This record gives sequence, structure tokens and C-alpha cells, in this order.
Amino acid sequence: MTVNRILIGLAVFLFAGLMCVFTVSETEKAIKFQLGEIVKYDYEPGIHLKLPIVNNVRKFDSRVQTLDMTPERFLTAEKKNVIVDSFVKWKIGDVKTFYTVVAGDINQANLRLDQIIKDAFRSEFGIRDITQLVATDRKAIREILITKTKSIAADLGLEIIDVQVKRIDLPADVSTSVYRRMEAERERVAREFRSQGSEAAERIRADADRQRVVILADAFKEAEKLRGEGDAKSAEVYASAYSQDPEFFAFYRSITAYRETFKNPERLMVIDPESEFFKYFKNQK
Amino acid sequence: MSWNEPGGGKKDPWSGRGGDEQGPPDLDEAIRSLQEKLGAIFGGGGGGNTPGGSMKGFAFLAVGAVALWGASGFYIVDEGNHGVVTRFGKYTETTQAGLNWHIPAPIESVEIVNVRRQRFIEVGYRSGGGQQTLGSVPKEALMLTKDENIVDVRLAVQYQVKDAKAFLFNILNPEMTLKQVTEAAQRGVVGSSKMDFVLTEGRSELVAQIKQEIQDVMDAYNSGIQVTSVNLQDAQPPEPVQGAFEDAIKAREDQQRLINEAEAYSNDVIPKARGAAARKIQEAEGYKQQVISEAEGEASRFLSLLSEYKKAPAVTRERLYIEAMQTVLSNTNTVFLDVKGGNNLMYLPLDKLINQSSSEEPASIPAQSGTVTQTRPLEPVFRSTTRGREGRGR
Repeated sequence: MTVNRILIGLAVFLFAGLMCVFTVSETEKAIKFQLGEIVKYDYEPGIHLKLPIVNNVRKFDSRVQTLDMTPERFLTAEKKNVIVDSFVKWKIGDVKTFYTVVAGDINQANLRLDQIIKDAFRSEFGIRDITQLVATDRKAIREILITKTKSIAADLGLEIIDVQVKRIDLPADVSTSVYRRMEAERERVAREFRSQGSEAAERIRADADRQRVVILADAFKEAEKLRGEGDAKSAEVYASAYSQDPEFFAFYRSITAYRETFKNPERLMVIDPESEFFKYFKNQK
Repeated sequence: MSWNEPGGGKKDPWSGRGGDEQGPPDLDEAIRSLQEKLGAIFGGGGGGNTPGGSMKGFAFLAVGAVALWGASGFYIVDEGNHGVVTRFGKYTETTQAGLNWHIPAPIESVEIVNVRRQRFIEVGYRSGGGQQTLGSVPKEALMLTKDENIVDVRLAVQYQVKDAKAFLFNILNPEMTLKQVTEAAQRGVVGSSKMDFVLTEGRSELVAQIKQEIQDVMDAYNSGIQVTSVNLQDAQPPEPVQGAFEDAIKAREDQQRLINEAEAYSNDVIPKARGAAARKIQEAEGYKQQVISEAEGEASRFLSLLSEYKKAPAVTRERLYIEAMQTVLSNTNTVFLDVKGGNNLMYLPLDKLINQSSSEEPASIPAQSGTVTQTRPLEPVFRSTTRGREGRGR
């Protein structure tokens, strides 16, 4: 019986004890309520006391949360549309305010933040052009946005860790025209390469042709010179031989010519039988 | 009620019933004694055992339960891991690899975090299963450059946990955060660079900048994540314009090809021209030699004949003449025409006579006046005049 009593007593003691304590982990923030009213809210992680039934505790995630905003269209200074996808990193700053203003609902908090941030975006984007947004002013915009939204977020009990633009994209139809521009630029480059290649090739070919003509012309010159030398030498040889007896040469050359000329039986000769050749012809008759 | 409480004598739970036994604990003995104790308690509760006995049994049971509970506090941390210990939710320590102990639940608990394993995220693509197919994710991959062009960038980020406590406690969903930060950083870095730089020589510099930016932001968030490497899987023009880009590259190659072809032509034409030139000159040389030799030949032939002629001019002359005439007249169609008859008008069917030279039949056509006879060559006519040497060459 003593044992039972001890056991029961132990159980009751433990049960009562559990009702009087609660833990707060490193990832939580807690508020202790007394009959609906906030009594204490700045709890360090660990184990803490509360009155059973009279007090109840609500816990909230104290880690860095993300608001991943839906992509939104904004107008730039050049009156161009851009689609911006951004995110906000925040965590609970003052948990009491967080509870009272957004009833501790993370989604609610995100919704409210979304509106605030988008307003800030709109004004910052509207005074800059695309190059500034994408390149030069990126960091500056981030700083400005964080500063702008810090105070407003504090009113919601939130602490802004970071505001970043994840993507800046052009709307689909503008993208298409960008592609076309890129293509056209590439085409220009391609055409330039090809025409430069043609130009260089034409030069080389023309030069080769020129060289060919020059080489052949020179050769012709040389050849004619040689032929001339040959003709001259042969003429000299002929002349020196034939001039030894010009008259005989005339005779001899003529009869050779006759012989060569009248080789063809198709030729028709009409002959006077009084010619020298037929001297003895008639006399025979 | 710990087992080494002072005042109760050494109530060593592993020793036998005789609490002052100092021998080494024996497992079988311990189990047996435990069973005895349990039996004593339950047996003693129903019957009329001495209160002192059940008290003792209960004490032993309690001590045993506490011991078991205490033993549950042991845990092993594998190599490459850290253990994060919290007490009632509050962080107490980070334990290293090996056998460790914490006050068992619900007082303390431990979460093991692998700090050495390389994890990675993919941005702009997904590698399904193996790495054969890289499916592009255009939303993540396409981004603007400084000169308002669009490029397709695929990144793989490798990271590991460098601070287990921060990793567990600071950010909700650290992996998603890393991906968001990566996207923001890569767009920031690419957006500050021109398209040609991104696509060609700037890759390593871009990767270094992106890695630095990601790390800076993740450290600002106190995320406990260390970015070990950022790999640029690919940076290329977007799919719709890839054709044009490839064509530009092809155009450069075409340019070179055209030049090469022209040079090949040049290398073909010029040597051929030189060859033709050499041939021309050689032919001229040949002609020169030929002509000179012909001249010398004819000259010596003439001179030989001349020397004989000089010895008997009249006779030689006569002979040469008659021989020549003989050859000539026997090789051609001849028509004798005696005009001394006094008639002025004569009809000569010359065309008929010419035509007859092509037929085989001999014919004689009398003229209207005068005597006309026609001779024919003795041999049939070979018409191939190009080959002057054959047929009737003399």
C-alpha cells in the first residue's frame, strides 16, 4: 500500500509539474496569456513556469521567414513594362505587436508585407530605366527598399532581414522582339564575316589571275624572241646559201614550188601545147 | 535516488544481493537478480510480505528504471556530423564525432546534422536521374544582361553546413533560401555584364562573383551554410536565337573557308601558269632549233646541188625542169588547149571537167573547136590532203 501511495503521489506530482512548465525552443517565440491578456512575451529558450489553467501559452516560429511574392508588372522610367519576381526575408521582431496586429498569422503578415513592398517597388522602379534596374542600381535599390520597409514592418511586429529582386524579366512579347533584335545583330555579324571572306578571297583570286597573265605574257615575249632568233638565223643561213647563186636559186625554188603546188589531182590545168615542155611533143606528130 | 547516493552503502545495481560485494558485475547474475527483485515486488504486493522487503524491491526497480533512462542518453555522432544538444529547447552545446551523452529526454535532446556531405541545388535546369538529359527551366535560366540581351544560364551550387546550430535554428527552410539567394545573385551578376562577356570569356569571373555574393548574403542571414562551389553548367544564348548565333560562328568559319579556297585556287593557277610558260618557251626553243636545222638542211642540199650545177649548168637546169613538169602534169587533170586555130569563142565545160575528177570513169569531152584531150592520173586519187607525204609524195 505504501508502494501504491508512493506511485500515485509521484504520478500526481509529475502531472502537476507538467502543467506548470513549458519549453521554448531556439526556433520559437512565446507569449503567456492570463485569461486572454498578454502577461509576458520576451522569453529566452528553455524551460519556464506558468500557472496551470489560468495561463496558456502560444508559440510562434522565430526563424527567418520568406515572403516569395508573386511576379508583378511594373513600369520603368522609359515607360517599359518589366515583370519582377522578388522575395522578402523577415522574422518576428516584437512578438507582442505581431500578435496584436496580425493575430500571429504568418500568411496575414505576408499579405500585408506584400502590399507594402510592392508600393515601394513601384516608386523605385518608376524612376529608373532597365539598365539601372538590372545592373547599376541593383544594390542601391535593395538598400532603399530595406530602409523604406523597415519602419512600416516594425508596425506589424516584423523585422526585415532582406528585400531582394529575384528576377527582372521582360514581358513575353517584348522578349520576342528582343530575340529578334539579337538575331538581327547576329545576322549582321554573320554577313560581315562572309562578305569579308568573299572580299579577301576575291583579292587572292584576282592576284593569282594577274600573276598568271603576267607569267604567260612574259613567256610569250620570251618565246617570240626565241622564235625571232630562230627565224633570223635560218634566214641568214638561207640567204648565205642562196645568195651564192641567186638566179639558180630562183629557178630551183620555183620548180620545187610548182611540184608542191600542183600535187592535187583535183586541180585542173589548161595548158597551151606551145609551152617549152611540149617542145618535142608536136614535132613527134 | 541515484545509485551512488551516500548513506545507503554501495547499492551497486549490477552486483548481487549482497550489496557489499565488490566483484566485477556479471550480466547473468544481474538479470537473475533483477528478475528476483521483480518477483519479490509483485509477489510481495499481494501477499503479506514484510513492508521492508517490498520497499527494498521498489527501490531496486526505481533505481533500475533510472539507470535505463540514463543509458538512453547515450548517442553516437558519426564522422562528418555534429550533434546539436538542446535542454528544454534551449541550445547547450554542439558535440563532435564519437560517443556522447546528454541528459535523456525530455530534458535534453540532440539533433544530428551532417556537416561534411556536399549538397547541391540546380538553378536553371534539372538533371533527371543521370546527367544525360538536362531539362532547361526557362523561368530560372533566362535573364537580362547589361546590354538588354537575354541569355540562358545554368548553375549548380554545392554547399555544406558549416554551423549546425545556425543551420537548424535561424532560417525556415534553408535550402529554399539558398536557391532564392542564388537566383538573385546570378541575375545581379549577369545583369551587370554584357552578353558577349557572359557567353565567352567572362565565365570564371562571373562564377567567382556569384559565389561571393551568395556567401555574403547567406552569412548576413546567419544561415550556417557554406557555399563550397558554384559551377556554371552552361551559359548560352536562349533557344529561339541559338540558330542565329550558331550561324554567326559558322559565318566566321565560312570566311576562313572562302579564303582557303581562294588560296588553293591561287596555288593551283600560278604553278600551272608557270608550267604553261615554260612549255611555251620550250616550244619556241624547239621551233628555233627546228627552223635553223631546216634552214641548214635545205641550205646544204642547195649548196650540194649548186656545186654540181656549176659543173654543168645548162644540162642540169633542163633536166630539173623536165622532171618537175613530168611530176606536175602527171598528177593533175590537164586540158590541152590549142588556141592558135584562130577561133575566138570556145566552150569549155570546166565545171564538168572538175567534177569528173572525182568519178572513176575516164571520159573525154571534145571541145567545139580545137583539139582537146584529157589525161587522167594513172593512180586512183587519195583525197587525204592533210597527209601530204602519202599518196603521191615526191
